[in-house]
Amino acid sequence: MITGTAITKTFKQRGNVLGKREVPALRGVDFAIEKGGAVSFIGESGCGKTTLGRIIAGLETYDSGEIVIDGVAMSGLSHRHRQPYFRRIQLIHQDPYSALNPTRTIHQTLEAPLRLRARQTGRPRSWVDARAEELLALVGIDPGYVLPRYPHQLSGGMRQRVVIARALTMDPDVLVADEAVSMIDVSLRLGILSLLRDLRERLGVSVLFITHDIATARYIGDEGELYVIYRGQVVERGLTETIIADPVHPYTQSLLSAIPVLHGLERPGAEQVVPTEALDEAQADGGCLFTRRCPFSTARCETERPVLGHDGGESGEDTEQLHACFHPRRRSVIPQGVHV
Amino acid sequence: MSRDSAAPEVRIRDLTVVYKTPAGELPAVSRVSLTLTPGTITGVVGESGSGKSTLALSLLNAVQPPGRIAAGSVEIDGLGDVLRLDGEDLRRTRGRKVGYVFQAAQNSLNPLKTIGKQLLDLGRSHDVEDLRALVADAKALLGRMGLDGARVLDSHQHELSGGMRQRVGIMLALVLNAQVVVLDEPTTALDMITQSTILRIIREVHEERALTTLVITHDVGAVAEVADDLAVMYGGRVVEHGPIAEVLGTPRHPYTQGLIRAIPRLSGDISLARALPGRPPTLGTLPAAGCVFRERCEKRMEICETVEPATATYDGRSVACHAAGRPAPVKRREYA
Repeated sequence: MITGTAITKTFKQRGNVLGKREVPALRGVDFAIEKGGAVSFIGESGCGKTTLGRIIAGLETYDSGEIVIDGVAMSGLSHRHRQPYFRRIQLIHQDPYSALNPTRTIHQTLEAPLRLRARQTGRPRSWVDARAEELLALVGIDPGYVLPRYPHQLSGGMRQRVVIARALTMDPDVLVADEAVSMIDVSLRLGILSLLRDLRERLGVSVLFITHDIATARYIGDEGELYVIYRGQVVERGLTETIIADPVHPYTQSLLSAIPVLHGLERPGAEQVVPTEALDEAQADGGCLFTRRCPFSTARCETERPVLGHDGGESGEDTEQLHACFHPRRRSVIPQGVHV
Repeated sequence: MSRDSAAPEVRIRDLTVVYKTPAGELPAVSRVSLTLTPGTITGVVGESGSGKSTLALSLLNAVQPPGRIAAGSVEIDGLGDVLRLDGEDLRRTRGRKVGYVFQAAQNSLNPLKTIGKQLLDLGRSHDVEDLRALVADAKALLGRMGLDGARVLDSHQHELSGGMRQRVGIMLALVLNAQVVVLDEPTTALDMITQSTILRIIREVHEERALTTLVITHDVGAVAEVADDLAVMYGGRVVEHGPIAEVLGTPRHPYTQGLIRAIPRLSGDISLARALPGRPPTLGTLPAAGCVFRERCEKRMEICETVEPATATYDGRSVACHAAGRPAPVKRREYA
């Protein structure tokens, strides 16, 4: 199990005549990833979801806060002692076309990490080839076909499966999938999503799923938890199904309202929320971070920043999920199926 | 400025585009016939390798070697057969008559010049006499799309966000009053909220300017939001084409049915959704005879192995499938 408390991260941009600009990427984020669980981070580009994913995978440093893996606080450990913990968290890259070395066959790609793994665990060399075949079968591709081939000879869906197989060579506890299906053909996306779900069930691996497409988060399995991130702050958090069906934060509602309606099969939600302005990263940080774009903003939102809680606020609706809004209210925003 | 208010019709007939490969010339688009009704938005959806981008380029007669338009015609009202145009005539047509909006992600803008300079280049290359009026038109268009026109024209592309660049692309395609507009993946790589804004703008501008619009995309959702008609492409063929509500509501072709079932949705039973088996064909793996979809089809019959299905009309849409006469619409409860 991995928990994070009050994680902050600020990117400093190089100075120009106006001096240095600081961009807060994460403003005190708490998270918890249970063993075998599924956690999804959603939000627009630049919201900090990818940065948080990279911090959890040990690929990025953070300014303050604490990450605890299986009861061990990472801040107390040297880089060398931290490595074994972060090795159990593996990142699946977004782009299966650039994630694999084009000059190596799939066999070579899998062989290198597996040899390392064999040394670490005291297994014989013969184990490497058997394990490579086992992993490819696990991700649903024919080892005999794939092993001797180069990445360019495989389709996008197959490459992404190879990338997942490579992540599995380290026997990870957590797979961090950053936009893992956005570059895959539509007819094959569900295949990758159900593979991730399957790996959760069969291997007990946790999945951290980072995406801008909320609908895909439903497909990585039951009891998934959703974090809606806006400008470095978690604004709504709870069970994926609860938040999609009953969102209370106006930002979550804007995201869900923006999802296209399949005319002929669905009709749009009755209370869609459209932000009043486009995202402007440079806008002032006073009050609620969403207030400038929020159609329901009040004077209080301009000066005070809401924190994550169950408080029903002025609307008095206590909620199952956590949210950071003074005026939470359920609105029907997602498309509804048409009944004939 | 005067503008013919009637939107033109576009008739693509028996279009075949081949690419030269070591294995000989292979068809990326094969005998495609498609009519774009004047004043409508037609969406073309297809996966990688379906031939949708090649089809779009054919509308500009802009297929590059090793590709070659081998047969067919693309008739646009008031222009004649675009495929017979060449040299100066063809260059004038592009932009003036047919506007093309490239993918925002592809960085189709010149990084070294401001948007305004690129606009003037466009005007000069099309012998626009009143460049001031052109700039005024461009500002009005950008303003219409919710941008500060003067500021955008003074900007370089790196100063603009993805959604702003996409709007600049639409402006450049429309500013010469083109009446046929092709948008290539207009929302790919954009965030959800930006995507929704761009789709709304496409719809509104299309209606205000009486355009005939073609939207090429891999994302059924994006096209479902704006299109009137939907054409589904697979392996270089249009396998189903008709009014969008019908094609999505009661799809007839097994590929359309499978594709709709494979879209991750916000509501409905997730256990009923599933990926299509197999993978999309490439030029090299397309079968030479029979139906191009049969390898992945759950309804394949003996005849599919040898005979390519002809396009037939069923309740208002055209379908190319031997099994289409026996409908099995997507079950409603999957989306309830």
